[in-house]
Amino acid sequence: MNSWILIPVFLPVISGIFLLMAAFRKHPENVQISAGERHRLHLIVGTVLLISAVLAVAAVWTGEKSLTLFYLMEEIPIYFHIDGISRIFVTFTSIVWVCAGSYGFIYIQHEGKETGFFGFFLLVYGVVIALDFSGNLVTLYFFYELMTLTSAPMVLHHGSKGAMIGTLKYLFYSLCGAYMGLFGIFFLYRYCDTLTFTSGGTLNLTAAQDHRTILLIAVFVMLVGFGAKAGMFPLHSWLPAAHPVAPSPISAVFSGILVKGGVLATIRTVYYIVGPDFIRGTWVQTAWIILTLLTIFMGSMMAYREPVLKRRLAYSTVSQVSYILFGLALLNPTGMTGALLHTVFHALIKATLFLSAGVFILEGDKSRVDELTGIGKRMPKTLWCYTFASLALIGIPPASGFISKWYLAQGALQGVQQAKFGVFRWLGPIVLLISALLTAGYLLPVTMKGFLPGKDPRYQQGTPGDEEPPGFMLVPMAILAALTFIFGIFPNPLTKYIVQLVSGLM
Amino acid sequence: MNAVMMVVVVLLPIIFGAPIPLLPFKNRKQMAFYVESVTLVTSVLVWALLLAQPEEAFVLFHFTGNLSVSFRLDGLGTVFAGIVSALWPLATLYSFEYMKHENHETYFFMFYVVTYGVTLGIALAEDIVAMYFFYEMLSLVTLPLIMHTLTREAILASRTYLYYSLGGAAFAFIGMVAILTFGTTSVFVPGGVIDLAKVGDKQNFLLLIYVLCFCGFSVKAAMFPFSAWLPKAGVAPTPVTALLHAVAVVKAGAFTVIRVTYYSFGTELLRGTWAQTIVLGLTIFTIVYGCSRALKETHLKRRLAWSTVSNLSYILFGAALMTPLGLVGGLSHMVFHAVMKICAFFCAGAVIYKTGRNYIYELNGFGRKMPKIFLIFTISGLALMGVPGLCGFVSKWNLAKAAIESENPLAYIGIAFLMVSAILTAIYMMTISIRAFFPGKEFDYSTISDVEDPNWMMILPLVIFVIAMFAFGLHSEPVMTALESIAATMN
Repeated sequence: MNSWILIPVFLPVISGIFLLMAAFRKHPENVQISAGERHRLHLIVGTVLLISAVLAVAAVWTGEKSLTLFYLMEEIPIYFHIDGISRIFVTFTSIVWVCAGSYGFIYIQHEGKETGFFGFFLLVYGVVIALDFSGNLVTLYFFYELMTLTSAPMVLHHGSKGAMIGTLKYLFYSLCGAYMGLFGIFFLYRYCDTLTFTSGGTLNLTAAQDHRTILLIAVFVMLVGFGAKAGMFPLHSWLPAAHPVAPSPISAVFSGILVKGGVLATIRTVYYIVGPDFIRGTWVQTAWIILTLLTIFMGSMMAYREPVLKRRLAYSTVSQVSYILFGLALLNPTGMTGALLHTVFHALIKATLFLSAGVFILEGDKSRVDELTGIGKRMPKTLWCYTFASLALIGIPPASGFISKWYLAQGALQGVQQAKFGVFRWLGPIVLLISALLTAGYLLPVTMKGFLPGKDPRYQQGTPGDEEPPGFMLVPMAILAALTFIFGIFPNPLTKYIVQLVSGLM
Repeated sequence: MNAVMMVVVVLLPIIFGAPIPLLPFKNRKQMAFYVESVTLVTSVLVWALLLAQPEEAFVLFHFTGNLSVSFRLDGLGTVFAGIVSALWPLATLYSFEYMKHENHETYFFMFYVVTYGVTLGIALAEDIVAMYFFYEMLSLVTLPLIMHTLTREAILASRTYLYYSLGGAAFAFIGMVAILTFGTTSVFVPGGVIDLAKVGDKQNFLLLIYVLCFCGFSVKAAMFPFSAWLPKAGVAPTPVTALLHAVAVVKAGAFTVIRVTYYSFGTELLRGTWAQTIVLGLTIFTIVYGCSRALKETHLKRRLAWSTVSNLSYILFGAALMTPLGLVGGLSHMVFHAVMKICAFFCAGAVIYKTGRNYIYELNGFGRKMPKIFLIFTISGLALMGVPGLCGFVSKWNLAKAAIESENPLAYIGIAFLMVSAILTAIYMMTISIRAFFPGKEFDYSTISDVEDPNWMMILPLVIFVIAMFAFGLHSEPVMTALESIAATMN
């Protein structure tokens, strides 16, 4: 029986709902909980999170499984199927989520409303796992929309006016994207043999023959719609609005995991339903590549001129996730490999960066980059984590970002020969290169000024390392930062696995 | 089950409802008991009728010649009568609590009960004359309900309603005459009754009349440009707004449109003509127009009324596709929207009844003080948005499926407009929920210390609606099979 794979979905969801109900009964809402209650809360959350994460990872690494839950409509089941893609997504999701949760135990104490926070934190974890398990397009859409709705209150945690605006922006951009996706799903339902994910696509080419134009439009609308979650231009601007106002562990899972929901939906649509052959060489591919390249460049530029650290990182996410989409848009195996590698690496890297930015805010009360001068004197370990992740994101060997960008550039050179438009052959790698330079330009000044503040007397105060965060925050950051390098130094197992997975697709 | 029963269910609420102001009730409780009994007995009889499905017709009386008022139950009537009979007792239960503080209760309940019979008359009417008769009556008996508070605003609103309805009925009358002239019979027949030999070369003339007739009947369904009366009518007590202006009256409009399109003029004649383009265009435009107006409205009930305008056009959009699948989509939205919108309205009514607050910006922090009401309101909002798992998704899915199947380019645009409408719905519904549950850090709860959840009479109907929304959303097959069997008679 495969029904045990429901445990990592329903256990966090149900415990999350219970925590939310408990939080709701406490009135007025800003009440601080006692130390004993907090201890109990941490115990519950920690246990639930660990059990679910272990079971989720166990579920994906013990072979392919399918499970039909129930029929939403005639012929449309809510159906879980675990395959190679879910394996990758579930694994990095679980790692980042557990790390962010451990970090959150301490971080959220300073923000209040802890029970409610962890209620949503668990709830969304269950939904994301279900999203990764989805075996057909309607199931995917179901959990995609649930993910949007359940994660929106997490952004709102502060309750400030800015948080409200960020939340609304996130909610409506995501819903707009989801509805654009749904628009396409309607058409695919009509012209595909099945909406169950099948390698190479299920589009019925004879039925689609006379409706090529409308189908291409529908697919393009879907790509832009799912791109909203992944921060692709023109629906990217919720990211810089939502990230700075959310608590840092939430920014970490947003940037690391939730935006990857858009990537997952894109992969499933293009490679498992429509089929890459249908899009290859059409205007849809051209437009898609242009949008991703534009986003890569624009995101980096915006990040470069942004003074608030968390917003800078959000723009960086806009840019970096479009690397992934660019890889997918090339529609060749090498580009796809690079995209999947970058999905994993970016999740780990961006989570580290946001968690360390959170430490700067929490311990040093510093949110702007120019306030971080000399921060390395007070929290060297945190800044080292930040620096390692930065190097990985820029793509300096032997860090992990180098590997994924190598494959992406290779894919750009190859794929564009297949498709007839040669201009992307040189434009793609050049944009990647410029963006890498900009990445260095917006990430490294923090490190340089942080460790080498110069002679300014204001930054010499305090004994070294006296503001370092406690272990519950530091260890997860260190683990994530170490992983970004370990994957760079020993890339072979992961790379081999992904190459094999991709070769089955195309 | 005898066919006479059809007359009984129509006349019973009218006969027992009309004398309510004259009856010597000792107290309010007795009246409430009487009203609820009449409603419940009628509903039980309707359900018995729907289960028995009598084949034969029953002629009530002849006007002259072949003009008669007769009843017959068919699939379409079953759907409408089913919706109405399921919701009326629940709404009545709710209104006892709501109307506690209002004046002239006896008159209110008199018209409330009489309307039930008239609405059933529309559902059971066998021919266009009978349907038109009850359609006109519906305008007249619901007029006093809008006027109920007798404020200046209410009187103006009821006047607007009257003008719109009578104007619409006049156009509908033209359609009726055309059907009587060019049709083989006045009775509703799946697939239409128009005799092409009689039409001859006057086809374009007939199409023009169809467009007029469509517009006339869709005045009640509040299609643009005839939608202004509906938000104004929101001054009526909430049970009226919820039941009549979200379900009975407006759906009677959609129902009559479906009748004339599928059962009188016939889709064979209309499909692909310029007449279809016009009506389809109007419904598509209304879908987005209603939502946009809802968005800029700050009065809670008026916002929901504009939302009804938009959602009613979903039904008309399905109908205007003029395919069996389109009919299925339209009917499914007719059923599901009834549940979703009455639920949202009852929540709004509970807020007004308990706190007297009418405007959305006054609702900050209410989620914590009225958790049950606002949780239910949020669920109904999610259902209206079309979140999968709730019933709104199913009808949207079926509408889109029908639109794609019709291969009409205008229908493709219609799907895009449905999606635009979904995002607008998300904005105008979710902003209320977010405001209520997350009023912000500085919000002082002591300013709304008087706010609390209402009692069980108001909560019970809401809980039933929520269960229905989930049940239809997660297991829609029985309903859809029934609706498909109705559409199957079209071929």
